[in-house]
Amino acid sequence: MAKPIVTSRNSRSPIAAHPIASAAIAVLVIAAIFFALYVPLYASATPKAGDFPFFYFYLLAYMPVLAIVLWIVIMLQRRLQTGQEAGARRPSGRAR
Amino acid sequence: MSNVNYVTFTIVVVLFLVVTLTGFAAARWRRAEDMLHLNEWGLGGRGFGTFVAWFLLGGDLYTAYTFIAVPAAMFGAGAVQGWFAVSYTIIVFPIALIFLPRLWSIARAHHYVTPADFIRGRYGSRGLSLAIAFTGILALMPYIALQLVGIQAVLTVMGVGTSSANSLIKDLPLFIAFLVLAIFTYVSGLRAPALIAFIKDTLVYLMIIVAVFYIPARIGGWGHIFGAAQAHLATISPVTHKPTGVFIPTTGNSQLAFSTLALGSALALMVYPHAVTGVLSTKRRDIIKRNMALLPIYSVMLGFIALLGYMALADKPTAASVKKAGNAQLAVPYLFQHLFPSWFTGIAFSAIIIGALVPAAIMAIAAANLFTRNIFKEFFKPDASPRLQTRVSQWVSLIVKVGALLFAVTLPKTFSINLQLLGGIWILQTFPSVVAGLFTRWFDRWALLAGWLAGMIFGTVAAYRVSSPTASHWAGSVDTLFGHTVYIGLSAIILNLAVSVILTLVLKAAKVPGGADETLPHEYKADPPDVPAAPAPASLGVVRTPGDFPAD
Repeated sequence: MAKPIVTSRNSRSPIAAHPIASAAIAVLVIAAIFFALYVPLYASATPKAGDFPFFYFYLLAYMPVLAIVLWIVIMLQRRLQTGQEAGARRPSGRAR
Repeated sequence: MSNVNYVTFTIVVVLFLVVTLTGFAAARWRRAEDMLHLNEWGLGGRGFGTFVAWFLLGGDLYTAYTFIAVPAAMFGAGAVQGWFAVSYTIIVFPIALIFLPRLWSIARAHHYVTPADFIRGRYGSRGLSLAIAFTGILALMPYIALQLVGIQAVLTVMGVGTSSANSLIKDLPLFIAFLVLAIFTYVSGLRAPALIAFIKDTLVYLMIIVAVFYIPARIGGWGHIFGAAQAHLATISPVTHKPTGVFIPTTGNSQLAFSTLALGSALALMVYPHAVTGVLSTKRRDIIKRNMALLPIYSVMLGFIALLGYMALADKPTAASVKKAGNAQLAVPYLFQHLFPSWFTGIAFSAIIIGALVPAAIMAIAAANLFTRNIFKEFFKPDASPRLQTRVSQWVSLIVKVGALLFAVTLPKTFSINLQLLGGIWILQTFPSVVAGLFTRWFDRWALLAGWLAGMIFGTVAAYRVSSPTASHWAGSVDTLFGHTVYIGLSAIILNLAVSVILTLVLKAAKVPGGADETLPHEYKADPPDVPAAPAPASLGVVRTPGDFPAD
């Protein structure tokens, strides 16, 4: 009776089911890459943070922000996934 | 050994012994019923959780060579060659978050051990799989050798073995360190570096946190450090008649070099076989994702390690010692020796030496797995039992390490560095096959193979042709293309992609068959307990055990 339950096949695409969360994920990931990659944004000595030139301070301060942003992305992905599981289960289980 | 500081030396020896014992004890850690299986020896049982994985991946990706080479680059050339590594270790995580969980799931579902295993299954192409395995081994060898170069830098400053003219005696400490490493990797497999990574990281964090607070206070504050670095990098070099380095990249070309180096390196990092080995050793798909958000903490540390190069510039005795030795790689070891009491220098040096052993072990395991799975089993003994595969991997890991040792000892250092630079360009050429393959089967296997070949040849030739006033060839990893300064690896991968796309269109039009694909779409999102860690005993094939869906 316990046949393997397949996650995404036969169910609505998770992206279509959660357009806002999906868009937010895309924006956050692209922004996380862009703001480190586009050097003209931060290639300057001022404003200084303490004795640190902006160019050096910026990338150091980027790391904790990146950790938080990626954590949010993971949480959003989990929402996508749980929605999807509910969708896959609905026919048999009447789960929420 | 006349000028050896015995306090420093004793601390390094004691910590090395602790690590050796840990390496052997690791064989008993999370002991499995049958250790003679690649899932166990080569992937630590595929059972590491978030915490262990964080240390393992951190120990794997931030190597001792990084601790030596990044500050050395900052010391010698400034921001474009050195500080780009910080930007690179930022963008690697959002990029990896996109594709690594898929790689983890498909590898778990089909019990793939190496990235080339995945290529074999996805494209049904032995040729493409061989190309990926070959590139992986080729890129890993010099990387392992460079870990030894990192150890050598520390040993040189310690004064161990340098006084003898006999090369055998001179490198004896290195031989001993490597012999120990080779034996405990043989015995314990991936469990050894996973356990030692805890010691490595504790020491590295201790070293860097103390250095960041103590050194600036001792030598005149951050303002002085940045000021001295800026002044030094602006001086005109007598050889090139240009500024020595770049403090802040303000011209278009230096900015482009900075970002293409960062982007290219970030794309390459997670397709390196040793990174994949670390990733596949984890227990759940979630763990990979979580680690992509947690590993940036390491990058903060990397940022401060890079700044050690500027501290070495700002501390006059250190800068003088480094210049006298004519080797920027000695910047960090000299900095610690000059500014810290001997006992703390011993801890810092141990951190670097142990930091070399962890990634070297993982790289040797990854190279050995590639050989066993994708060359030995694929082409010589298709019916090799898991037991035989493990035996072969154990021996190959030894051979790989001996090879790397010969590399490090016999060839000039610059040669290993050039090869590592090439290794990055080469491994990047496997990115289209591996990562595109995780999302689409659109690409044709022969087109990808042709693209790989084009990228490999272009990248190698372009890197060979880079010259500077001090070196006629292999002078760097950036090249001027149509008036823009670009990382060679990135221009090679663009060529690689272009060839792959065009040939795919041609081959599709000619209706060339695409090869069998053994993977299914939902398997790219699979998570245990759907997919068990170990395959059913009799086969290594696609046996799937039905199970309940995870509760959360």
